[in-house]
Amino acid sequence: MASSSAPKYNSNYLDSSPGKRTLKDGTNWEQNEEIPRLPGETRVTDKDVIYMCPFNGPVKGRVYITNYRLYLRSVENDPVVILNVPLGVISRIEKMGGASSRGENSYGLDITCKDMRNLRFALKQEGHSRRDIFEVLTKYAFPQSHNLLFFAFANEEKFSENGWMVYNPMSEYRRQGLPNERWRVTFINEHYGLCDTYPSLLVVPYNATDDDLKKVAAFRSRNRIPVLSWIHPETQAVIMRCSQPLVGMSGKRNKDDERYLDIIREANGQISKLTIYDARPNVNAVANKATGGGYESEDAYPNAELFFLDIHNIHVMRESLKKLKDIVYPNVEESHWLSSLESTHWLEHIKLVLTGAIQVADKVSSGRSSVVVHCSDGWDRTAQLTSLAMLMLDSYYRTVEGFEVLVQKEWISFGHKFASRIGHGDKNHADADRSPIFLQFIDCVWQMSKQFPTAFEFNEQFLITILDHLYSCRFGTFLYNSEFLREKEKVTEKTLSLWSLINSEKSKYTNPFYTKELNRALYPVASMRHLELWVNYYIRWNPRIRQQPNPVEQRYMELLALRDDYMRRLEELQITNNSKISNSSASSASPSQMMSHVQTHF
Amino acid sequence: MAVAHHQAREPTALPTRPVHRDGAWLLLPSSFPEDHIASEPRIKKLEPVLLPGEIVVNEVNFVRKCIATDTSQYDLWGKLVCTNFKISFITDDPMPLQKFHYKNLLLGEHDVPLTCIEQIVTVNDTKRKQKVLGPNQKLKFNPTELIIYCKDFRIVRFRFDEAGPESAKKVCLAIAHYSQPTDLQLLFAFEYVGEIYHHPAKKVNGIDPGGGGGGGGSASGQQTPLFETYSDWDREIKRTGASEWRVCSVNEGYMISTCLPEYFVVPSSLADQDLKLYSYSFIGRRMPLWSWNHPNGSALVRMANIKDVLQQRRIDQRICNAITRSHPLRSDVYKSDLDKCLPNIQEIQAAHIKLKQLCVNEPFEETEEKWLSSLENTHWLEYIRSFLKHSAELVYMMECKHVSVILQEEEGRDLSCLTASLIQIMLDPYFRTIVGFQSLIQKEWVMAGYQFLDRCNHLKRSDKESPLFLMFLDCVWQLLEQYPAAFEFSEVYLTILYDSARISLFGTFLFNCPHQRVKESTEFAISKNIQLGDEKGLRFPCVWDWSLQFTSRDRLLFHNPLYIGKSAPCVHNGAVKSFKRSKKNYSSTLRGVPPALKNGIISEQEFLPRRNSLILKLKPDFLQQTESQSNSMEQYFRDWFAKPVDLHGVILPRISGTQIKLWKLCYFRWVPEAQINHGGFITAFHKVSLLADEVDTLNRNLRQHKSNSSVQGNCSELDQSRMYFRARHLNDTSEAPDFLSSSFPFSPVGNLCRRSILGTPLSKFLSGAKIWLSTETLANED
Repeated sequence: MASSSAPKYNSNYLDSSPGKRTLKDGTNWEQNEEIPRLPGETRVTDKDVIYMCPFNGPVKGRVYITNYRLYLRSVENDPVVILNVPLGVISRIEKMGGASSRGENSYGLDITCKDMRNLRFALKQEGHSRRDIFEVLTKYAFPQSHNLLFFAFANEEKFSENGWMVYNPMSEYRRQGLPNERWRVTFINEHYGLCDTYPSLLVVPYNATDDDLKKVAAFRSRNRIPVLSWIHPETQAVIMRCSQPLVGMSGKRNKDDERYLDIIREANGQISKLTIYDARPNVNAVANKATGGGYESEDAYPNAELFFLDIHNIHVMRESLKKLKDIVYPNVEESHWLSSLESTHWLEHIKLVLTGAIQVADKVSSGRSSVVVHCSDGWDRTAQLTSLAMLMLDSYYRTVEGFEVLVQKEWISFGHKFASRIGHGDKNHADADRSPIFLQFIDCVWQMSKQFPTAFEFNEQFLITILDHLYSCRFGTFLYNSEFLREKEKVTEKTLSLWSLINSEKSKYTNPFYTKELNRALYPVASMRHLELWVNYYIRWNPRIRQQPNPVEQRYMELLALRDDYMRRLEELQITNNSKISNSSASSASPSQMMSHVQTHF
Repeated sequence: MAVAHHQAREPTALPTRPVHRDGAWLLLPSSFPEDHIASEPRIKKLEPVLLPGEIVVNEVNFVRKCIATDTSQYDLWGKLVCTNFKISFITDDPMPLQKFHYKNLLLGEHDVPLTCIEQIVTVNDTKRKQKVLGPNQKLKFNPTELIIYCKDFRIVRFRFDEAGPESAKKVCLAIAHYSQPTDLQLLFAFEYVGEIYHHPAKKVNGIDPGGGGGGGGSASGQQTPLFETYSDWDREIKRTGASEWRVCSVNEGYMISTCLPEYFVVPSSLADQDLKLYSYSFIGRRMPLWSWNHPNGSALVRMANIKDVLQQRRIDQRICNAITRSHPLRSDVYKSDLDKCLPNIQEIQAAHIKLKQLCVNEPFEETEEKWLSSLENTHWLEYIRSFLKHSAELVYMMECKHVSVILQEEEGRDLSCLTASLIQIMLDPYFRTIVGFQSLIQKEWVMAGYQFLDRCNHLKRSDKESPLFLMFLDCVWQLLEQYPAAFEFSEVYLTILYDSARISLFGTFLFNCPHQRVKESTEFAISKNIQLGDEKGLRFPCVWDWSLQFTSRDRLLFHNPLYIGKSAPCVHNGAVKSFKRSKKNYSSTLRGVPPALKNGIISEQEFLPRRNSLILKLKPDFLQQTESQSNSMEQYFRDWFAKPVDLHGVILPRISGTQIKLWKLCYFRWVPEAQINHGGFITAFHKVSLLADEVDTLNRNLRQHKSNSSVQGNCSELDQSRMYFRARHLNDTSEAPDFLSSSFPFSPVGNLCRRSILGTPLSKFLSGAKIWLSTETLANED
């Protein structure tokens, strides 16, 4: 058996290589040669602390803080306890206890993280020992609140691949066979004049003029007009995304919007109705009328049918994840695990998102009908639905590169508000804009990969790495809310892409069971019977629960190595045999020829 | 390959189709060529395939088997036959929507063995009546519909709209009668074996059913030890190095106990004379039975309660001392009272009923919302967990504390079977092979007197029903799920084994104890004028003779492609090594460990048995007795999990709530809504199989190259593959076959048909009953 190393209490998924160490650093740094540093990472401070490990009790150690991370190394424990936390994952830093607090280890810092864990450090009570570390941490964990740049702008890592080259909207649309006689590419948003949260390049019906688009924009929340996300190569049915129509309490109508949706319907020569999926619960859609929004009424859009998908809003999802954290960290609620899990509703929300996406995909594929997907603003639930439906329908998105394109396109370029939802570098931990929408999407992808173990080129580690760097601020990929802002900050020039890291070490992120297949729609079973909690992500900090590397995968890798070894030895034998008995042809078959003896039943 | 199982069906065979009746045309599948329908129906007899001794009891024509819940367009027309072995639906219609059918050689595609029937519900639509049919009951209405609830969670539904009303009624009554026999000798296996003895030439599938252990799925063709003989036990003593234990023959001819095997193993220091004496004090005269020895000398023993209060202390002490004397370190004995720390059989049965209710409940969507809490409320997983946990704790006692363990239970034939088996699977890799696992079931279940007849409720009259055997298979599945490379068998094997317990042909799962087989079958033989000669009772087919049920190719699905056999090579740190079982990697502890466990709980003084010490008094809460004790156990588990697993050593279960899972293949395979098409673990299994097959082939090539054997020999050996899915060529990256799904090799199509009855969803109908499938009449006749 390939062995797994004895677990340390960190899970350092973030860094694979220890960074360079410069001699000019302080003495403490020199003593600890194994402290990882990235190029561009600089030390700030270090201090003796007691790490209040929830699993192993107090751990004496030294904490090192750089402009990128918090690193703790135990001084007495064997095996060494290590914490390696990018400052970007920190959501909140609190002081616990006061100078007069009694009790052992009652004075120190409490750190809440965005990645399902909390850290607690106890310090010596005398001499305001926590003041400077608190200040340093606050400053570097929340650079946005201190007029500092994200670490991504200081990062000097070098990668063999350039992740910024992965997504080129034009080539992605070309891959889909666009533009064609019914769909055109428009540059109307080149300078983000039409919609500042959309990408510059948009695909719209050939029969809609740029002037039409402007009129439609006036009737759609934040000007997010219906544009094409994906076209079915055979049925030519399309997935369109947009925001809610500005119907309001008075039930306003807009002829241009109505005509525009009809053009979309006609674009695939479709006689039946256009299907509109409103991701929200019906009541939420109605309630949105009060703030000027709403949904497409039957009267105004007689050629469309509208379905509500009952997916709740960002606040509900945030609360749900909070509850989930309560039952898995630090200890897993054991006595009533399943009902506790049920009471978080996390899997139920996953189920609704997947169910919605299945409906969208099925409509486009089996129903051969174009669909329009929206929620309120069209950047949260809508992104989940379109990207998951595309993942189900288009096997390209199930490759490493394809998935990167999918995230880049449906999420990053279409203005999922990563900065607001994650709160990058922002100290306002209670901001109501924060919500784990993207995490929920990745969870849905993981659920699909569990149900179809051979259908995805990427593995679980790929998904976990994406989530880790969603928070880490080491790469520019997820920074800022829109393409417009990213261009303004020159993100692609000044930062590195997460895909650079991943694509430079692709083998680490590939699924050995992947079997390439083309054009098969994959419909997961969105049933509680099959949905599972993603233990390897949500409960990964718990050393007692964390699972070993997937044993099936491990065994498969061993078999692969074995095969290579046998082939090599066979070839060697054949060479020696051939030299011995050069006249015998029967025994000199190559390994591949030998295989032809095997009878198969297929 | 799928085609191989799809018999080409002639579209001309339409006799069961009531084409002469109005309206029936519409029910034909739309794809059916019209000219065939128009042509005169050619009557081709649809006859059931019968086994020796099997007779048709009743039959009815023009029956419709329902396939889908919401439409009748896929329904099949055919004849419904009740035999003394099964109900059989015979049709020429091909099964719609189904891409693959795993064929059991004893049963047709639509057949249900009578012993697999749980409940029979008859319905009359027009009169709005429903009745659950018990044996010897009357039916005052003509059924328009028959619903068969199966013990394996299937639901099969037939409609009689076009059938003769009287014949339909008769068939329903016949099924009710024959599926609920009152006497053991009425089970089909007796009829079958009687026929075989009268006509020895008759064989099923060309194989002598009287055979013993059968090779099973094992590639080596090794026989499964049945533990019916002295020598099987003796070999097990030698295999485990239990030198201070001996085979005891006092129960030969079942002279002492009728619920113990004829041969069993006892401490060498106990004389037959003493054993006979002691036996009177035990319930059922079930004196202590040795199960297994740890390489460190600790023994696993199972024992019934001592009913004789006066003798209790004395006998208990004598037994414990004897066990201690059989330990090379003279280690102490640890007693675990299973009745106190594990769920009882009634609780397990209640959990199973709830689980069944949940898994087959309808509509599917209704159970979704509260699925997790409902699942929790069944307690099924909780019980699985307690068995695994308790067994692991006893593993700790043997492995780490070097003490012998006694499993104590009232009769010692229920919870002990499960616990003893699990401990051995965790400790001894031999029991993770197919032959080893089968021998374990023989040793700890069949021979130890697990009451299969009562617990499986083959006679439908017992309130002793309890699915302990299923729970055991489920526990093993949990281990297989956690250590997929540690087992030679697959989850398909476990599922099939579970199904096989409900085919009343195999003697293995038919009796409450070995003596019952001898007694009942001797009676039967006399009544049928069968000469037994020297044989002790009739020999029934053995379930381990898998060739009775499956072709050799289909049996390949029993094999786990991930398994790392003890001699199988494996890559370690880049170098290919061979695993050889040695004492060293078999167990972390060796003989000769000094008895002083100074850091342990038991002080040396306490540890060694003192004269007149009352071990019993000392022990009951041994595990919880002191905090440091449980700490040291926790430490042992923590350390064990921190290290890489040696698949040929001990394996321990992970038992946190997140790690105990529902065995989906077994419980969801008949639920169409839960089926993942083109997905599920099987797709990875397929992929691994291809590679493992390739590796096997290369390995054989390599060996042949080295041995320079003849080319002819090469070819025959090259044909042997242990994989069901085989590589076509090197680097075979072909797509998985289209028929794979999470239910594979089973198919939910048509096995379940749960359209609402009389406008009420079936779930409502069922929840009206107190428990699922209670025998009470749901809607009484007037």
